[in-house]
Amino acid sequence: MELIIGGAFQGKTAFAKENFRISDDEIFICNKDSAPEFDKKCISHIERFSFWCVEHGIEPADYFFEHVENIGEKIIISDDISCGVVPINKTERAWREANGRLLIKLSKEAEHVERIFCGLSQRLK
Amino acid sequence: MRIYLSGGAKNGKSMFAQEIAKKLSSEGHLWYLATMEPKDDEDDARVIRHRKERAGWGFKTAEWGRNIALHCGETDCKGTYLVDSVTALLSNEMFCGMSGDINKSAPEKVANELLDFSEIAENVVFVSDNIFCDAAFYDEWTDSYRAGLAFVDRKIAEKCDVVAEFSCGQIIFYKGAELI
Repeated sequence: MELIIGGAFQGKTAFAKENFRISDDEIFICNKDSAPEFDKKCISHIERFSFWCVEHGIEPADYFFEHVENIGEKIIISDDISCGVVPINKTERAWREANGRLLIKLSKEAEHVERIFCGLSQRLK
Repeated sequence: MRIYLSGGAKNGKSMFAQEIAKKLSSEGHLWYLATMEPKDDEDDARVIRHRKERAGWGFKTAEWGRNIALHCGETDCKGTYLVDSVTALLSNEMFCGMSGDINKSAPEKVANELLDFSEIAENVVFVSDNIFCDAAFYDEWTDSYRAGLAFVDRKIAEKCDVVAEFSCGQIIFYKGAELI
């Protein structure tokens, strides 16, 4: 598994496409309003999946590892949502923490972890 | 040499930018390119504080809040420039006028003008801000600004010799560490 994280709009998808030769058709973009489909090779905006989980009382890390097949072949992309002010909204507070727990588990499983900043990558693992 | 520095607020990037700009410059050709257009007492106080912090460093100040391309030629473009900040420049260009309209072409204009300027100048140190890592869903107005700033960051960082992020006063290089 490859994990790609970084702030919003930093070029994470472009990095994935370039380095892992994937097309738009192979990317599933998570949505905070509906259940995810994990069959595609690349799962993007996993933080939105985390939000959907929190709103439905689900722990994202549990759901992810129960529902994803061939985890080792996946490319996972997440916005880094960990560095702002503690959100005033309770759901958003829970979301930030749940996504953090998910990313820690994903990074343990991942072969590589890349952090993208201004379109440039830094290998964390 | 072109250097791009970003990071969260109060992480040490401005002080490092001043130091590296001074180190790169030759006598009498060191410019502080101030892009913030003061709009109230708070801004005025910030300008005064920043001027005090730069006192004695040898910076000449140019206040260019927008239209960087039109200003080229007002100074010796051969000098070393500290552009502080890309963030304020984009804000001025994107949200001009009282109508509340967004100038959606501003990010491309700012990126192109800064890149053209950096081709002429001897050295440019750009300072930007990392506003991309918080847990919030923004309105379209704010999110288009975030996307715009990230666009400018990425366009310029691609061409820069050195790109670094600041965290807790520590520098994290993405390229060009050996040049500093």
